[in-house]
Amino acid sequence: MRFSRKSLGIPYAVFLVIFVAAPLLFLFYYAFTDGQGQFTMYNLTHFFTDPNTLGTLYYSFTIAIVTTAVCLLLAYPAAYFLATSRLQTKSVILMLFIMPMWINFSLRITALKEILNVLEGNLAMHPFLNAVIGMTYDFMPFMILPIYTTISRLDEALREAAMDLGADPVQTFLRVTLPLSVPGILSGVSMVFLPAMTNYVVLDMLYNSTYIMGSLIGSYFAAYNWHGGSMISLILLAMICLFTLLTGNAEEEGARGALL
Amino acid sequence: MKMKKTVCRAAGILLTALLLTNVFFRVFKQDGQFSLLQDLHLEVEAQAAKPLTLRVCNWEEYIDLGDWDEEETIELPSGDIIGETPMVEEFEEWYEETYGIPVRVEYSTFGTNEDLYNMLTLGDVYDLVCPSEYLIMKLMAEKALMPLSEEFFDEEQEYNYYIKGVSPFIRNMFETKEIGGEPWAKYAAGYMWGVTGVVYNPELVTREQASSWKILADPAFRRQVTIKDSVRESYFAAVGAIKSDLLTSEAFRSDPDYPQRLEEEMNDTSPEMIAQVEQWLKDVKDNVYSFETDAGKADMITGKVAVNYQWSGDGVYTMDQADEDDFTLAFAVPEESTDIYFDGWVMLKKGIDQDPRKQHAAEAFINYLSRPDNTIRNMYYIGYTSVLSGGDDPRLFEYAQYNYEAEDEEKETVDYDLGYFFADPEEESAAGGSAESGAADADTAGDGDYVIAVPADQADRQVFAAYPPEDVIRRSSIMVYFNDDQNAQINRMWTNVRCYDIREAPVWGWILIAAVLAAGIRLLVKKYKKDGSD
Repeated sequence: MRFSRKSLGIPYAVFLVIFVAAPLLFLFYYAFTDGQGQFTMYNLTHFFTDPNTLGTLYYSFTIAIVTTAVCLLLAYPAAYFLATSRLQTKSVILMLFIMPMWINFSLRITALKEILNVLEGNLAMHPFLNAVIGMTYDFMPFMILPIYTTISRLDEALREAAMDLGADPVQTFLRVTLPLSVPGILSGVSMVFLPAMTNYVVLDMLYNSTYIMGSLIGSYFAAYNWHGGSMISLILLAMICLFTLLTGNAEEEGARGALL
Repeated sequence: MKMKKTVCRAAGILLTALLLTNVFFRVFKQDGQFSLLQDLHLEVEAQAAKPLTLRVCNWEEYIDLGDWDEEETIELPSGDIIGETPMVEEFEEWYEETYGIPVRVEYSTFGTNEDLYNMLTLGDVYDLVCPSEYLIMKLMAEKALMPLSEEFFDEEQEYNYYIKGVSPFIRNMFETKEIGGEPWAKYAAGYMWGVTGVVYNPELVTREQASSWKILADPAFRRQVTIKDSVRESYFAAVGAIKSDLLTSEAFRSDPDYPQRLEEEMNDTSPEMIAQVEQWLKDVKDNVYSFETDAGKADMITGKVAVNYQWSGDGVYTMDQADEDDFTLAFAVPEESTDIYFDGWVMLKKGIDQDPRKQHAAEAFINYLSRPDNTIRNMYYIGYTSVLSGGDDPRLFEYAQYNYEAEDEEKETVDYDLGYFFADPEEESAAGGSAESGAADADTAGDGDYVIAVPADQADRQVFAAYPPEDVIRRSSIMVYFNDDQNAQINRMWTNVRCYDIREAPVWGWILIAAVLAAGIRLLVKKYKKDGSD
């Protein structure tokens, strides 16, 4: 057999089949069958009629939205000033932002727990707030990094041109820099929003006893209900696909805009 | 930009893959292991001299790993005990020395009973596992277990440490409790046991307050109580709190059928009861600090909470740790009733597979762990109380004395009677007859032989949790395993408690979600417009 460049892809293809395609098939199988292995749509209809799943969906959504918004509001100015400044210590500051990612996340949350305990007194009084703080703390680097990269790659000439043509700094920012950094924002949003919907460990560790999507799936599996749990996973997967599709398109637009 | 998007997507795919691999592998393993097992079996038949493999699955951190420091040596009147090497390795050596057959133990661990059950149903094969009582009952009902051999119960044999050393109290319970007409003792050998109760901070909570399940919903301790993130434990506490008046009434307690009635009341799964439990647990959810999986002990020691619903074994650990910081905690068992639990060794039919050599090794493993010195090592390492009292061997009682007996300079001491656990009722009193239950046994025992003089404050603390007094045992109840239908209802109730009630959703939340959805739709529309105009 002649070695072609295509052969280089084989290891990954095997990986893809074993770890992505096959498990996905099982997920589909479980989601659309009942305990006796009979085909059923019950799991699907149950998802959209059960007040528990809807309530959890609502709760996860609000946590994810608020977390993403807070992350964005904190990360954008930081990334903007970092990218546009001529600080000598820029790389050091950037490293400080990224450093938490090198530390194990449960360790970080444990530390955060102690800090919050000092600030708030009794942690259990503010479950929603704690969840948002924990997730923001945890996912912040994922928001800062893409925004920082996008802004620092912007052509300085574009901003200078806007200024030359009479735009004041605010106008320059609103009409040039901000639109051009949209792709960075979107990839940051997608990297924060989706994990924030399912990362129940943060809630567990910060004493929020309400289920979010991740813990709901876990509870189905713990109760030996593989079918209901698989259906929730599948629906989440569908949401993620839709989301990626949306942001993906917008990113392309952004990229095209940057070229124009 | 393209590059980053690809990376993004790859990361997404990878995450999904990781999630799904788990499900997939469990199913895949089923077939993989099945054929492997057959091969193994054929091989065993062909070559009897080949080393035996024993697949053991136990709770995490539930066996001594050795490597103790010199200072940790437990000095008992009958000799010193120290753990030098992992017990599993020692068993392999001991078995070969004793029976001349090399054996290899494939030791793995599980985190919860539900995990173990999922592992078993999805194809993992083990010879010997150590689940809690309710899973043993479930496995018995499913006919998945291999009965222990008659030889195992022969008290004359030198190495039958289990049957020679098991506490008469536990033995009686195992022989009288039945599933499908068969006693537990036929299939299960106990390992560790205990009761449920609450660890509390005596500076903030009185013992009387801590002695009722109602404390978990008490607004006086708002956000100062942690409860187990477990359906079964929560259900039990809820039933106890709701039926508190009945359970603590004199009439109920003096009922001749008290043990039987108590068990029925505590295992009440009628729809009305489930509905009441749901409401009670919803109140609890608003009142407690958290439903904890693991943080309970640490939060108690650091003083974040005042009360923690806990298993007695972990209660001992919590109090020991707090003592090191000169912080005093105590343990109480609610007056209504307490869930008596134990973990026990059972052999699986699927694993043993009619191989007598394997069964022999599995039973020898149980016996080896039940050898008094090994039992003490495990108790020291795990912190739980063993089901063994030692029989003729005095070391287990000596270990209890070593742990709890007051020093000579101690001013105030109280006598703590452990007769129900250590004394053999047949030897103690001829009038014993056929005792109906553990409680009845306790009445006949205790003529002073097994009394320890403990420091006065200890009676509410470690020794109380490690060896609960007779009156606690009398009000203890087994929590049975529920059938699929009951389980479905109770799990449903639990999800109702834990999920966000959508009717409580505030307006701002809806506005937020609507805004985000609108933004998403705008993006979509924009995209299609663009495609149209292209």
